[in-house]
Amino acid sequence: MSSTTAHPRVEAWRRGLYRFRQSWVSVLGLLIVLVLLVLAIGGTSLTPYPQHIMGLVDTSARLQAPSTTYWFGTNEMGQDVFSLVVAGTRISLLAGMAVVIVGAVAGIIVGAVAGFFGGWVDEALMRISDLMLTVPGLILAMAVAAALGPGIFNMIFAIALSWWPGYARLVRGEVMAKREETFVLASRAMGAGTNRLLWKHILPNIMSPIIVKMSLDMGFATLTVASLGFIGIGVKPPTPEWGSLLSVARVNMPDYWWTAIFPGLAIFLAVFGFNLLGDGLRDLLDPKARR
Amino acid sequence: MVGYILRRLLLLVPVLLGLSMLVFAIARLLPGDPVALAAGPNATAADVASVAREFGLDKPLVVQYWNYLTGLFQGDWGVSIFTRRPVAEDLAAYLPATLELVLAAMLLAIGIGIPMGLMAAVFRNRWPDFISRTVSLGAISMPRFFLGLVFQLLFAMWLGWLPLSGRFPLTEDPPPAITGLLTVDALLSGQFHAFGVALSYLALPAIAMSLSPLATIMRMMRASTIEVLQQDYVLTERALGLSQRLILFKYVLKNAISATLTVIGLYFGWLLGGTVLVETVFDWPGIGLYATQAVLTQDFMPIIGVTLCIGAIFVTVNLVVDLLYGLLNPKVRYQ
Amino acid sequence: MLTTTRRGVLAGGAAMLAGLAAQRQAEAQGRRILVIASNQDIPNFDPHVASGYSASMALRNTYDSLVRVEGNPPKPVPHLAQSWTVSDDGQEYTFKLDPAAKFHDGAPVTAEAVKYSFDRLLRLNRGNAWMIAGVVDQNSVEAVDATTVRVKLVKPFVPFLSVLPWVWIVNPAQVEANKGEDDGQTFLRSNLAGSGAFKLRRAEAGNLYEFERVANAWKQGGGNLTGAIWKITRETATQRLMVQRGEAQIAVDLTSEDMDALKGRAGVNLVIEPEYRTFSMKMNTRHGPLQDANLRRAIACAFNYQGMLDVAGYAELMRGPFPETIDGFDKDLPIYRTDLARAKEFLAKSSTPNGGIKLTVAHVSGLEQQRRWALVLLDSLRALNIELDIKPMIWPDMVSAARSPETTPDIFMVYQTANYGDPDNLAYAGYHSSRNGGWQNPVYSNPAIDKLLDDARGETDPEKRRELYVQFQRTLMEDSPDIFGVLEKRKLAMRNNVKGFTFTPVASNAIELFPLSLG
Repeated sequence: MSSTTAHPRVEAWRRGLYRFRQSWVSVLGLLIVLVLLVLAIGGTSLTPYPQHIMGLVDTSARLQAPSTTYWFGTNEMGQDVFSLVVAGTRISLLAGMAVVIVGAVAGIIVGAVAGFFGGWVDEALMRISDLMLTVPGLILAMAVAAALGPGIFNMIFAIALSWWPGYARLVRGEVMAKREETFVLASRAMGAGTNRLLWKHILPNIMSPIIVKMSLDMGFATLTVASLGFIGIGVKPPTPEWGSLLSVARVNMPDYWWTAIFPGLAIFLAVFGFNLLGDGLRDLLDPKARR
Repeated sequence: MVGYILRRLLLLVPVLLGLSMLVFAIARLLPGDPVALAAGPNATAADVASVAREFGLDKPLVVQYWNYLTGLFQGDWGVSIFTRRPVAEDLAAYLPATLELVLAAMLLAIGIGIPMGLMAAVFRNRWPDFISRTVSLGAISMPRFFLGLVFQLLFAMWLGWLPLSGRFPLTEDPPPAITGLLTVDALLSGQFHAFGVALSYLALPAIAMSLSPLATIMRMMRASTIEVLQQDYVLTERALGLSQRLILFKYVLKNAISATLTVIGLYFGWLLGGTVLVETVFDWPGIGLYATQAVLTQDFMPIIGVTLCIGAIFVTVNLVVDLLYGLLNPKVRYQ
Repeated sequence: MLTTTRRGVLAGGAAMLAGLAAQRQAEAQGRRILVIASNQDIPNFDPHVASGYSASMALRNTYDSLVRVEGNPPKPVPHLAQSWTVSDDGQEYTFKLDPAAKFHDGAPVTAEAVKYSFDRLLRLNRGNAWMIAGVVDQNSVEAVDATTVRVKLVKPFVPFLSVLPWVWIVNPAQVEANKGEDDGQTFLRSNLAGSGAFKLRRAEAGNLYEFERVANAWKQGGGNLTGAIWKITRETATQRLMVQRGEAQIAVDLTSEDMDALKGRAGVNLVIEPEYRTFSMKMNTRHGPLQDANLRRAIACAFNYQGMLDVAGYAELMRGPFPETIDGFDKDLPIYRTDLARAKEFLAKSSTPNGGIKLTVAHVSGLEQQRRWALVLLDSLRALNIELDIKPMIWPDMVSAARSPETTPDIFMVYQTANYGDPDNLAYAGYHSSRNGGWQNPVYSNPAIDKLLDDARGETDPEKRRELYVQFQRTLMEDSPDIFGVLEKRKLAMRNNVKGFTFTPVASNAIELFPLSLG
């Protein structure tokens, strides 16, 4: 970062951080996300029955109600629901993050190319992304994921396929605006190449809105991952993923409600945490959007 | 104005054409072998080949697309390879149920979301604002399928107040089909009992569907109201001593609603594609359920049909919203 | 549930009211309509194309066949055919048709119609055609006179009468009038041309099908139903609640947990009976590590059979390829049961004595029981240091994967339902090499087995035939191509006002409406 822009930016960060701390909902969001991150990193070692996550079945202890032995009860295979839900954090977070990152990277490339070159390249790329925006994303993801077969990477690919156009449009708009700014024109006059211009000067300057969008998207991506799992096309068993856990547990309702309620609450909590945090981050990084 | 509308309508043609091409390409380039299923479990290789020939799947992809496109113009949306029913007929049978669900959800979302957003803006940064902001974030974060399951558990399984799933009691004949929307049909034919019954089936899925658009509309309404409230002319009016209420209703509401309209348009299309999960939970016989079945059997004609249908409705609704926006804001010039 | 809570009483009361209201509504309209909750759609009504139990239900109620199946054990009984005779060599059947039989349009059901229907089934070669393929050809069926049909089998086929309930007779005049270019397939897909006691009143694809009693049908008597609704209800928990609340009278796809939840509920009867529906895990004997018979035996010994039974609920473990009630079952067959020491012995003799390999199992996605069994298998194989990759696949992918040994997964889960109560049905479809490439027997091929099955098909002496099947079971067990799983009991829940239901262990979820009453 050049010294001329450092000062006001640091100042903006400081002000943003102050606002972030002032809003207790954002702090709550941060707390939830931190807890999720700890669970995701800690994984199986934080669970009372790590063997159950590896696939141990205990058919003599099936469908037991929540108790001090099994905090969230056991499922139809006699596995501890608490352990499965905790283990599911890693899968869901990882998949959600991967979808957002893949979508963002693809979108940034498309958007940057379109915005920088303009002309027919821009026209063609933007028409395609407009079209993609009209396609119902969930149905497309379902169709692609079902055709590719279960597996976490297939699922991520299927969802990211309809995720990039939002980023492409955002980046294109920003690039077009920045392209005409004085410092870019100046570097160009000094003979900077196209690539260098794009990656060294323009992109770093538009990262803020992209990060805001990514953090806002995290919740929704996690939700979409769970949705695919719920339809029954997601990860491979026995991988514990919240949506699939909930989907499988539907047949156990209402008598064995705990098998369904806890994975569902986990999805809600994770999405809620990311949304709160995303909202707070937007206030922090994108003061224009704050009202 | 008329010229503008015509121009916009004309612009729809390439969009829909592109959409059909895109969807067709994606659906047909996927791996998987639905032909083997259609041919039956005991089919020989020759049988499979003959089914492929029957559906024209042995031809190059471009030819297949051309045949599909020319069929579309004659109202032929292809045939399901699995059930061998025409997709157009199936769509006509399933679409009204989905439309009813989406319309009901949107009505709820608009009816509650706009006043709540207005409230939040007026009481900005005070407790009604904080509560509604947090609640709306909670609503956006609530997975619709999970909420649907919780509703079923509470209101249908434990309390027994509302029906568990479906659209109408099985042993009763539904009201005569006029629009295909059961509640509307019941009202049109004066069957008020049937209306109540249909409504009781509609309630839970519609509420489950309405939450995220409700929250978005609320937030949008809040933001645009605040923006309008800070505009010069409103500040002037206020300085001139006009009552808060008058300002709110005379200027702010109209301006804020027109900004919110765009969101409503976007959401309408988005909900059409997002009914899948709620329809699955409530066994609601709409296109979402139809699409899910098709996806699970890799029956690509229905998948293409549903995607295209939703895409077309999405584009059309957004056109209508644009036009309405213009009506509400005469400042927008039609160029 | 013994403890009664206030909420429970409230819920029960409200449910009863809802049920009563629905009942009253129907009665007020003078209709007695039976609602059946099922998870399978009826995509096609063509009696010579459609397959699956939902289609069987629709067709057996709207069309008629030469004979019906009834009783437990199931026996063929007269239907369109009043009587029949079989020649001594078992290759020629002569049927006398009921002269009263007529189609819905009033035309009599003639011998010509029977011939027409057999020919059409063979010509289209879909649906249930496989049941008679190779046994009956275009020249086999002959209309001797208006009410006499003679069928000359191409080769002896002992269970011939057992497959006849699934060969339906169409009205040739109606089909010919709507023949089109596809032999009337477009017409019959959604129109009926039969003589059954019921016809279609309302069809909402993917949602419900309503049947209505034909007022002047040729066959009178039976139960008092005026109609029936086949309601597609994908979740089994929902099916159960519908029966519990009186919104449906019969549910056909319940899990064992559902049955337990319904046990003791007022107004609900449960039917839990063994049926000829076997579940097994077929191992790939032609490709990959399971070509090694010792490894297959090791897995068969390592598998946690009790765990499988626990998660299956109402089921019994299979003792070989046949259900115990089928004629020809070998009581003394040596079978594999969980025995880790023995499993390790077999493993030591195999080419991978220390395990360390990874196998793939495929099951139909969405089938809850198969998912659970896959998890039990995964857990069992860990004891042999074998990893398991569980692949839920949609049915079309399963079918196409089964087409060659290279694409068939190491372990392949299948249910197989016997449409007729004869050992030939399960044995031939599941183990004869001519079925290789099909999902019932993707890869297993053994000339000795083929010969035994071919001989048994044509053997008319029951004692010798039984002996051939015993040999078949012994040879098969030695080869250990399958983990023989369970025989799931048929689980039906029924309101107690359904009268006239008798259980027959052949496609009993394809409910036959004619004898049923609502009281």
